[in-house]
Amino acid sequence: MIKNKPVENEHMDLRWVKARADAVLESLGEGLVVVDKEGKILLLNRTAGEMTGWRPDEVTGEKFLEDVLPKENEAGERIQFKKSILQEVLKGKKITINALTPYWMVRRDGTRFPISITVSPVSIDGDVIGAVEVFRDISKEHELETAKNEFISLASHQLRTPLSTVSWYTEMLLAGDVGEITEEQKRYLGEIYVGNNRMINLVNALLNVSRIETSTIFIGNEPVDVAKVIDDVLSELEPLIEEKKHTIDKHYKDKKIPILRADKSIIHIIIQNLILNAVKYTGENGTITIDLESKQGLTLIVKDTGYGIQKNQQNQIFTKLFRADNIQGIVTDGTGLGLYMVKKILEKLGGKIWFESEENKGSTFYVNWPASGMREQRGTTHLISGQS
Amino acid sequence: MNYLMDTSNEKTILVVEDERPLLEAIKRKLELNGFSVVTARSTEQAYSYIEDIGKIDAVWLDHYLLGKESGLDFVARCKAEGSGCKDIPIYVVSNTASADKVQSYLRFGITKYFVKAEHRLDEMIKEIRLHLETGKE
Repeated sequence: MIKNKPVENEHMDLRWVKARADAVLESLGEGLVVVDKEGKILLLNRTAGEMTGWRPDEVTGEKFLEDVLPKENEAGERIQFKKSILQEVLKGKKITINALTPYWMVRRDGTRFPISITVSPVSIDGDVIGAVEVFRDISKEHELETAKNEFISLASHQLRTPLSTVSWYTEMLLAGDVGEITEEQKRYLGEIYVGNNRMINLVNALLNVSRIETSTIFIGNEPVDVAKVIDDVLSELEPLIEEKKHTIDKHYKDKKIPILRADKSIIHIIIQNLILNAVKYTGENGTITIDLESKQGLTLIVKDTGYGIQKNQQNQIFTKLFRADNIQGIVTDGTGLGLYMVKKILEKLGGKIWFESEENKGSTFYVNWPASGMREQRGTTHLISGQS
Repeated sequence: MNYLMDTSNEKTILVVEDERPLLEAIKRKLELNGFSVVTARSTEQAYSYIEDIGKIDAVWLDHYLLGKESGLDFVARCKAEGSGCKDIPIYVVSNTASADKVQSYLRFGITKYFVKAEHRLDEMIKEIRLHLETGKE
């Protein structure tokens, strides 16, 4: 009798453990599936069943996860669960697909809904024996995100028409197309023209950000001469550089720069943003040094002798709409969107951006493009080049 | 001989744009640059100009227009085999710059796509004139 007691306790414990696990699984608001190393379903909780139209007992045992709960990307292409997810997880990695680039779960009846997923390894004593997939229906978030982006896109398009009207009429008045104007009138009209252009740039920046966030942007793949792009950007910015009497040090000039496979207009936008920032955030008579290094891909270096970024704000520099305290009274036409956009786009392309900065000494920004070139993306929209 | 009076070399541009203020500015600026201008706010009007006037040297076209058809419908019809306006260069000047639209326009064989808010009138007119005179973009 006394001998049996611990065994009974053990049974009790196991039953207790199982009951507890069942209760957790059944009450979980997320869908949960456990698969073995081959991707066969071992367990499917009630929520997963309710979301997809399957009864847990119909699918556990012999059926493969990718057949029963197929997932797609936005364009409706199947995700190879075993190949692209399970194999990685079996190596011990945890894979997360978040709401920004969601997958779609296809229900038993063929309809689909957006999900965020986490797939983690299941191991016993350090051996990975399978994986557990947890997914959540993010239809509501997705709808909100889409509505927000459609609004920005529509509003931006609608804003551009009256902006064009102001721009063209001011241009004609300034050109004397409808009669001569006095110097003072010219100056006033000049202010209207500049102010309106700022608004056009802001609208363009907003449109670009919404395009990057919705992943609808088209990323091409063509040979790009980065040194040539830098030259183009410098000649665009020449009036501003002259006005601020900056010296431009072109260190890349006497180097042999490999041709990058990338999207030329996107490279242009990235370089334009970095050089424009250096020019804008450096007081008169500054020096801006531009260099290219072809180690581990290609690295662009833009160094200025400007206002710099204070230490306690350096971690916020890539945040949307952020503008550092020390320049708010000096440079008033920043949108807080430029670096945010550059960072987002580089994340998409597989590139990197980082910087060093000291207040009142200057900043150095680095952008690295991988040697393999940029990731292509067949989107529907283009980014608009312009000074954000 | 008074060259200012000689209009035989004057090129005629058909401007198709639904926004009245923009249309007026484009017309005026083109005229100041020595072009003769006819205007339309829908594709229907545009087609009838092409049929009635005949001598149109170039089309300045917006995407969204009055009526059911867009600039893209106009280009599709114009650039089709056997159409009377197949060889007339078309310049699309629009604020709707989504890549798929731009690609569609270019596939139909338009000469150039300008994003409206990005360009000054004199810039675009200079480019159009250069292209019409030399065939270069």
